[in-house]
This record gives sequence, structure tokens and C-alpha cells, in this order.
Amino acid sequence: MIDILKLSVQLYAPELVCVVLMCLLLVAEAMHHEEGTDRTKVYLLATLGLVVTAGLLIMNLGAAPSAAFYNAVVIDSFGTLMKLIMVLGTLGALWLAHSSKDIYSNLKSEFAVMAVGTLIGGMLLASANNMLTLYLGIEILSILSYVMTSLKREDSTSTEAGMKYALYGGLTAGVMLFGMSHIYGMLGSIQFAEIVPKVAELQGADQIFLMASFLLFFAGLGYKISAFPFHMWSPDVYQGAPIPVTAFFAIVPKMAGMAVLIRVSHLFFAGDGALSVSWVGLLHVVAALTMTVGNVTAIGQDSVKRLLAFSSIGHVGMMIMGVVVLNEVGTRAIIYYGMAYLFMTLVAFWITSVLNDTYGTDSQAVFRGLIYRHPVMAIMMSIVLFSLAGMPPFSGFVAKFNILSVVIEKKYYGLAFIAALNSVVGLYYYMKLIKEMVFSKAETTEPVAGFTDSTRVLIVALTIPVVMMGIFWDGLMGLSGGAKLFLQ
Amino acid sequence: MNGLLSMILWAPILGMLAVLVIPKGNDNATRWTALVSTAITFALTLVLYANFDQSIPGVQLTETLPWISQFHIFYKLGIDGISLPMTLLNGLLFFLCIMSSWTVEKNLKGYFALLLMLQSTVFGVFFSLDFFLFYVYWEVMLIPMFFLIGVWGGENREYAAVKFFLYTFFGSIVMLVGIIALYYATGKGVDSFDIIAMHGGKFTDMTVHIFGTDFSFERLFFWTMFLGFAIKVPVFPFHTWLPHAHVQAPTAVSVILAGVLLKMGTYGFLRFSFPIFPAASVEYSTIIGVLGLISVIYGALCAMAQDDIKKLIAYSSVSHMGFVMMGMAAMNTQGMNGAVLQMFNHGTSTAMMFLLIGVLYERSHHRWIVRPDGTKGFGGLYTQMPKYSIIFIIGMFASMGLPGLSGFISEALIFLGIYPKFTTMTVLALIGLLLGAAYLLWAFKRMFFGEVNDEVKEYDDMNLREVAYMVPLCICVVVFGIFPSPILNIMKASVGQLVDLLSKY
Repeated sequence: MIDILKLSVQLYAPELVCVVLMCLLLVAEAMHHEEGTDRTKVYLLATLGLVVTAGLLIMNLGAAPSAAFYNAVVIDSFGTLMKLIMVLGTLGALWLAHSSKDIYSNLKSEFAVMAVGTLIGGMLLASANNMLTLYLGIEILSILSYVMTSLKREDSTSTEAGMKYALYGGLTAGVMLFGMSHIYGMLGSIQFAEIVPKVAELQGADQIFLMASFLLFFAGLGYKISAFPFHMWSPDVYQGAPIPVTAFFAIVPKMAGMAVLIRVSHLFFAGDGALSVSWVGLLHVVAALTMTVGNVTAIGQDSVKRLLAFSSIGHVGMMIMGVVVLNEVGTRAIIYYGMAYLFMTLVAFWITSVLNDTYGTDSQAVFRGLIYRHPVMAIMMSIVLFSLAGMPPFSGFVAKFNILSVVIEKKYYGLAFIAALNSVVGLYYYMKLIKEMVFSKAETTEPVAGFTDSTRVLIVALTIPVVMMGIFWDGLMGLSGGAKLFLQ
Repeated sequence: MNGLLSMILWAPILGMLAVLVIPKGNDNATRWTALVSTAITFALTLVLYANFDQSIPGVQLTETLPWISQFHIFYKLGIDGISLPMTLLNGLLFFLCIMSSWTVEKNLKGYFALLLMLQSTVFGVFFSLDFFLFYVYWEVMLIPMFFLIGVWGGENREYAAVKFFLYTFFGSIVMLVGIIALYYATGKGVDSFDIIAMHGGKFTDMTVHIFGTDFSFERLFFWTMFLGFAIKVPVFPFHTWLPHAHVQAPTAVSVILAGVLLKMGTYGFLRFSFPIFPAASVEYSTIIGVLGLISVIYGALCAMAQDDIKKLIAYSSVSHMGFVMMGMAAMNTQGMNGAVLQMFNHGTSTAMMFLLIGVLYERSHHRWIVRPDGTKGFGGLYTQMPKYSIIFIIGMFASMGLPGLSGFISEALIFLGIYPKFTTMTVLALIGLLLGAAYLLWAFKRMFFGEVNDEVKEYDDMNLREVAYMVPLCICVVVFGIFPSPILNIMKASVGQLVDLLSKY
């Protein structure tokens, strides 16, 4: 037994580092609690911990998939890659929070603690191998998210957003738990490995009943990734939450939910029985509607945070297309998409955050004439927006290309055409923002104070991968070194 | 010569970087750098012409480098008789455009950098032999165009830029689905994105299953590709972006748009649609022909109704590109040769017209033939600006297709080609030709004859720089009007090969 635990701890080292880090951060916060103290040291500590985590994750890449803690979690390349994206996302959001005025200065280290905590929940989700760990992961992720949303205590939209998030979250978590208990009742186990063979044996009415349970289960997941029709909360929460939190939400909880969706779909529905057909059909509809609703609604948004929220719903729809195909290339396409999306999101939110700090609003008007004030920043933002719209030679295009190519390989032409039309809609609203930045004259030519030298260097550095990943992406699709992605 | 195509492709990018590193404020240095860059590029295209073997029907001077191994995507360039005339045109027109942009004041560095970037991407479109590479260039080209129209354009430039971008993007994204479908249809092999390997009707018997119905693979994806190219040409009813983009764009960009960019659409038909889907192309050739005919007549009628001289020329482009479509739809040697020649000739003559309008606009700051309040915008230009008028007459007659000038040869070839296949349409297209003469002569009469307006009295005639960039184009339209064989010889073998392929279906 000790041996098993030893091995498990070894495999689970990245998460354990994060747990230790969270505790250390709590202590560090206690030492810096006076108003006005500089929290940079706390952030450096968090950075160190996250870098170590990322290093451990990279070392785990390519290793053979194996289960740990008596099948409670599974460590495989797929999960590791998803965790890596989440760790990088957390790191980015952390430093954004460090410079942003949206996080009150006396709450800065609280943000760090909660971000790392949420990350732990996300990582748990990415390697969940039974219903219980899955639920635990969702709850850790959610409860900290609710608090982070209302971190701007005095701001009524922020507290309202937190309240909305908690209500929706509580409801869908309950629905999900209900679905899980049904699945347990029917199949007599919470272990994925034990459920999978039993799913295949079900016949007739039992299948329909099980499908209904999975639908309830999907409600919880759909909520986390803000898939249609469970997406309603996300624009309000995105808008209400402080910008670093929004950037964080756009990456970490989404990738975690995506990881679960992918794992569950691949485990239970990889065959070609009636259940798989209906699950694939469901994902088809969800993917098409999610991206259409997200993109179409984004058109009318003036708040850039809200615009990015709706656009992220659109991107989730695209990513779900990679789940529909239920094969390994599809999953690799999603992983690439996640990585590309990570950098694009960070740059977009960072620039928005600086302007928001200066003008107190994130309306599109604050971007007016940015090219005359900060040409480099305007160009970086344009690159990122073009990339989000899927223009070559940027990473967003390659991500879109990969996703389109996996669905076309499966001959889902209808879905491919819907996605194609969606990217036209997407281009339109991204272009509106570019238009504001480049075509309109600014009222003043004074530089924005928030764009300090270090911020500008950082933004450029974050944009470089957006371009590089769009040109030199040979091999990026096979990051796990050819090892099997999943433990099946 | 090895690596020549890459040199031509990347020379403008080097020029762009050079322009970008020049410190702000050195306007003349910026202009000269851009000019030298395009001059070198143009010289390189002439070297390319010298190295081109006219007897080879297929692609030549190919270069291949691996790019994305997983999808078998290569950096593969090559050139044949259909793309070489376009390459020469691209080299020449950008050189002249930089000269014509000498008076641009606003944000000079950005303007020249974007123009040079645009030139490189246009070369990329004509050189690419890898479908993915082609698509990347086809799309990237939109970015400099978007900014050039949107920042340096007229009053309504934002609307025009957005409309242009969205329209073309819509066409190309639908085409992307087709490109990926082709990749899987060829079996994901090493040459799956290789355009030349796809040629020859390999997809005729395949079917696809969409929404519960079986479709012919070839027919379905012929149309997705058609959409992408037809919007670019533009063919009626996809032409509505063109007048806006043309009118709002700065002079140089209008020249490039009409001179080279529209040809990318027809080039797409010749390089992709026809050889990859020959059966569907032959099957739908009547539709292509009819759309071409509608463009000819509708474009001409619209042109006649315009009070803005730039809009008039923009619609005349729709009309002239309609001739190209008709010539291609004929699918015989005369028609195809006429079409490719018309692509080149229209490039020179319409570039002349847009440059001339630019010259006039710099003096008048308006383009009204008749102002909205009914008064004449110009009058008696002939007396005031004799040099200008002579060059205008040459450009106008070339555009009209007067014998002895370049437009005549290509239009005559197109008519020879379509007569056996679409006899009635030939007669109708002749009406289009007549209308073409009518709107141009009418506009000429209103602008150049009559009493000299008070305003017009202030205009100076063309200066040396302006004459300098008009002369090469005048030489082109006159020389190729009398002696078109240099261009015809370039394309003969390649066009012949394409016609042979199509005649089998």
C-alpha cells in the first residue's frame, strides 16, 4: 500500500506543489497584510511555485498514462497538457492582477491565493478518474471562482456578478450531482474504469434512462465551459469581475471543463452504439449553437470585456467541434486551440486592463485612435484580434484550420460550414474594435500612463507566440511526444 | 536561376523593413527607399521573364521547402504562362504606384510599408503551388488592404474597408472548407496540398453526404471555390463591394485593386477551379458565361449612370472583368488566350485611368463629372491641360477597345472564342462593348470639352513626375495593341494545356 501511495505522490507532484504553494501564500499574505505594502514578493513566490509546477508537468509529458490514488485520478499526457495551459494561464492572470488597479491593493495576495486554489481544482478536474474527484474538482474550482468574481467589494456589478455566478453554479452543480447519482444507481460504481464496460451492456429503455442521466451531468459541464444553453451567466460575470479575474476565467475554468468533457466523451462514447450516436448528435447541436449564439450576440457589445466574453463563447463552440469527432487528432486540435487562445486572451485583456485603469471604463471608445498614441500597442492588439478572428499567419488561424480539418476528415461538412460562417461574424466585431483603434482620430496624442516600458515589453513578448505559433506550428500538434494521450 | 521566385517574393518585405527602420520625419528617404525597393523588384520580374522558358506548358522554376510535415504542407513556389503576365504586371504597377504616391502626406511610413507588404502577398498568391500557402497569402493580403483603404481613403472609408474585408473573407473561408475537403479527398498523402498534383479531374466520381443527401463532391466544392473567386473578380451579383472600395481607396490602392487584385479572382479560376474540377467547370460553363455577360452589360449600364468619374471607372472594371469571365467560359484556345490577355491589358489600361483620376483629384479635390446640384464639375480640361488630355485619350481608347490599342486585341480574341459556343451571348456582349464606348466618350465630352470652368483655369498641366509614371503604361497599351505576341507567347503553352484538359470533358 505504501508503494502505491509513494508512486501516486510522485505522479501527483505538480498538484502537491500547488497545494504547498497555496499554504505558503496564505502565510506570506499574513506577513504583508498592512494597507499599502508592496505585494511583489508574494507574487514572486507564486511565480516560483507555478514555474516549478510547469516544470514538473513538462517532465511528466510523454510518460505512459497511469492511474494514481487507487484510480481516483489518472495522469496522462492529455491531462498534463491541459494542466500546463491552466498553469500558464494562471501565471499570466497573476501578473496582470499585480499591475491592475481593478484588484484593490490590499486584496492582491488574496487574489494570488485564490487563483492558485482554483488552479488546483482545475488540475484535479483534468485528471479526474471517478465521479467523486470530478465533483470535488468542480466544487473547488467553483467556490473560489464565486469569491474571486466579487473581489471588487464596493462595486455593485462585481458583487451582483458573484451572486449570479454562485446561484447558477449552485443550481447546475446540484443538477450534475443528481445526474451522477442516477448513473451510480444504474451502474453501481463511481469509478470510470468500472462504469465504462457496463455502459456498453445496457439495452433498450435503460439506455434512454442513462442518456437522460448524462444529459443532467452535461448541464454541469456545459455551465463550466459556458456552452449553449448554459452560457447566460458568463457575460455578466465577465463584465462584473475585475479584469484579471475575467482573463483567468476565460482560460482556467474553461480548459478544466473542456478537459472533463473530452475525457468523459472519449471514455463513455468512443464506440458506435446508440448512446454514442446520440451523444455525438448532442455535441453537434451544442457546438453549432454555442458558437452561433456567442458570435452573433457579440456584435452589439460596447464593453470590451463583454465582447471578449461572448467571443469566448464562440471559441468554446469551435473547441467543442474537436470533441464531436471523438478521436485523438480532435483532442490535439483542442489542445493547440487552448494554447493559442491562452496567449491571445492574455494580450487582449492586458491591453484592455491598462486602458480600463486609466479611463475607468472598458467601452470601445477608450481604444479610439490608439495607433496615434501607442502604435506598437495598437499593432499588437490588432494582431491579437485578427488572430482571434482566425486570420493567417497568426495562431488563431492555425487553431481554426486544425479544428475545421478534423471535422472535415469525419465528413461533418455541415458543421464545418457553420463554423466558417461564424468566423465571418467573428471577424466583423473584432474588426469594429480595430477600426476604432486605427481608423479613428484620437482626441489627444498624450501617451497612456499605464503603458509603462515593462508593460509594453511584456505585451510584445506575449504577442510573439501568437505570430510564431501561426507560422512555425510543425510539431506543435504532437507535443506529447507521440505517447498515447489517454488512459483507456 | 535558382531561388529567383523567393527573391521576388521577399524583396518587398525587405523593402518594408527598410521603410520601417527609417526614423520618423525623413519623408524623402522613406519615399526613395520604397521606390528603390519596387524598382529592384520590378527588375527581378524582368529577370524572371528572361529566364522563363516559353515552350514548357507546366510550371517551372519551382522551389520546394518543407513547412508543416504533419499535414504535408510545403513552401512550394513555381510559375507558368498564366501567372507570369500577372507577375510582370504586379512588378510594374507597384513601381508606378510608389511614384504616384509621392504626394501622400499622412503617416508616410505606414503607408509605404503596407503597400510593400501588399506587393509581397500578391506575388505569393501568384507563385504558390501549395494550396495552404496560397490560402495564407490570399488571406494575409486583406490585412494591408484593409488598413490602406481604412486609414488613407476618402470620407466613407471605414464602411468601404469593412465591406471589402468581410465580403472577401466570406468567400475565402468557404473556400477553405473546400481546400481541406480536397486534402482529405486526395488521401492525406505527401502531395495532398500540391495544386499541380490535384489537376486533371481526380475528383469526378466522388460523392459527399450532407444533411442526409448525396452530392457530387466535384460539383459541391466547385461552388465553394467559385464563391471565393467570384467575389474577388467580382462577378455579378457579388460585385457590390467593389465600387465602394474603389471610390474610397487612395489612388495607388485603386490602381492595385483594379490592376492586380481583381485578376487574382480570374487567375483562381484558371489555376484552381478549371483544372481541379474540369467536369463541373465544363458543366457549369454556361452559368459562368451568363454571369460574365450580366457583369458586362450591368457594369456598363451602371457606369453610364455615374456622376463620379472614379465610380464610373470602377463599374467599367466590373464590365471588363465580365469579358474575362466570358472568355474563360468559352473554354477554347481563342477564348482562354483572350481572357488571360485581357487580364493583362485591363491591368494596364484601368491602372492608367485610375492614375489619371488621381492626377486630376490632386488639383480639383473632387471627382464630379456633374455635381449633385446639376452643375458641371469640370469643363474644358482639354484647353487647360493638353498633355493630360492626350494621355487620357490613349487610356480611354485602350479601355474602350479601339483597334490599334491593347484592349482591342484581347476583346477580339474573346469574341472569336465565345462566338462558336454562345452565339446569342456574343451579340449581347457586343452591346456591352458599345455601351462601354458610350459612357467613356460621354464622360470625356462632359469633362474635357465645353467652356473652361473658373476652377479649371487654376489647374496646372501634368508635371514631369506624373508624366514619368504614365509613359510606361502608354507604351504598354500602344505596343501590345499593335504587337501582342510577346504576351501571347508567354501564355500559349500553358493555356493550351488547360484547354486540352477541358476538351476531354
